[in-house]
Amino acid sequence: MLFTTFYRLAKTGFVNFLRNGWLSLASTIIMTLTLITISVFLILNIVLTQGIQTIQDKIDISVYLKDSATSQTIFNMQKDLSNNPDVKQVNYITKDQAKQRYDTTFANNPQLKDSLDQSGNPLPASLEIKTYDPSKLASLMPMFDRPPYKDAVSKVSYQDNKQVIDRLFKATEFIKKVGWGLAIAFILTSLIIIFNTIRTAIYTHKSEIEIMKLVGANPWFIKWPFLIEGILYGVFGTALSLLVIYILLRLLSVSFNAYFGGGSTGDQVFGFLMQNLGPLLFLQLAAGITIGVVSSSVAIRKYLKKS
Amino acid sequence: MIYLKEVSKVYNKSAKKALDNISVHIKPKEFVIFVGLSGAGKSTLTKLITHEEEPSSGTISIGGIDYSKLKKRDVPYLRRKIGVVFQDFKLLPRKTIYENIAYALEVAGIGGKTIRSRVPQVLKMVGLESKAKNFPKELSGGEMQRVAIARALVHDPKILIADEPTGNLDPKNAWEIIDLLLKVNEYGTTVILTTHNKEIVNALKKRVITLKNGKIIKDQEVGRYALQ
Repeated sequence: MLFTTFYRLAKTGFVNFLRNGWLSLASTIIMTLTLITISVFLILNIVLTQGIQTIQDKIDISVYLKDSATSQTIFNMQKDLSNNPDVKQVNYITKDQAKQRYDTTFANNPQLKDSLDQSGNPLPASLEIKTYDPSKLASLMPMFDRPPYKDAVSKVSYQDNKQVIDRLFKATEFIKKVGWGLAIAFILTSLIIIFNTIRTAIYTHKSEIEIMKLVGANPWFIKWPFLIEGILYGVFGTALSLLVIYILLRLLSVSFNAYFGGGSTGDQVFGFLMQNLGPLLFLQLAAGITIGVVSSSVAIRKYLKKS
Repeated sequence: MIYLKEVSKVYNKSAKKALDNISVHIKPKEFVIFVGLSGAGKSTLTKLITHEEEPSSGTISIGGIDYSKLKKRDVPYLRRKIGVVFQDFKLLPRKTIYENIAYALEVAGIGGKTIRSRVPQVLKMVGLESKAKNFPKELSGGEMQRVAIARALVHDPKILIADEPTGNLDPKNAWEIIDLLLKVNEYGTTVILTTHNKEIVNALKKRVITLKNGKIIKDQEVGRYALQ
């Protein structure tokens, strides 16, 4: 009995979807566009956030130490910094390491390289500090101005770079906000459009709902075929939108490769899609079915209220 | 079978009563014709019996069910016991003729086997076996009304209400529908017919209840059309 009822409701939903023809097609296309909008903005924001993260990971400060600083003081300073919960990483760069880096950097410029060799090693030892959140770097500054570390520190790079860091910060925060703002605006707009499309589709069948009630159908017996139609919009919408995204990225990656040379950006973007195909499929299916079912459910409620 | 006691119906507080203090008793297997001009209260009466509307005052009881005690969720079960035929047929446009009739059984959770034997039976009774796979829009008005009757009868209701079933039909088709209703009544179903077709009323020689301005002005065992 339960199985028979389930079978009938599912079959009715499928048959209605097919017999609705143009209306189903229109709803599915709108659903596809909605899912593409959601996916594209999510992908863009993930890529953007990752990009910003990469940039922010590069932000650090160097605390240059006086040659007179004792190893005990340096050790204490390193320990204090490591104990700070905001600090991600502290690296001690000795004078020799600093020299090595200098040599590597200017390996192609013997003049600069030699100038340093002649004057011994004037480069200071330093501590390179990274925080989890670069905006926390400023809060570390006071300790270098106070004893016992004041006398050991010759200079902190932050002061020099402060303006650049602050500006970069504001820029990345702004880009993030704009990105999410745009994403939310576009996603909301497309949600409103798909909801109205489904509402219109159900509105055209409102006299049928009246008839079904008069014939003695329970509210859920009337409702479920419409919900199944909603699920089908979601399922076909997912299939279509994945296909469209796949084709778009494929084309994009070809033109990227032609522009930047083979095996570069284009393949990376396409690779990103292929790697995340599973989660994307799941996300779209979940979003599509939820949108379809919730919209249908809300739209039909008003016609089922009266007995 | 059907009891209406001092039933009144007012749609808007200010407006006049659609039904004014109506009391009727309809016995099992009876064939009753409600006659009245437009606005006399015929449709309101059928809507009260199918529980599409609730009375403003008075009591209605059908087959021992007191409507005032009926819960909203029980209404679908009540409707499966009453077959209704409407002037505008009310067929589901996205379903075939077969599916339209089967739907009335499906909503009641009847098994597929019963449906497959019962639907062709009623289709044969109304003479539309050949149209089973057609959609309503491919049928004539008379054929659509026969489908509606088949649907109303498919679950063997004790009561069949026909609300102006011939209103949209030409005389030949109208008479075919009336003949069907008579046949249904012969098999033991109580039939309630509302109409303002003088010729049909006079020819049938059945009980006629005449409504005017929401009131019963005449109730005759073998009645005639009594309106101007």
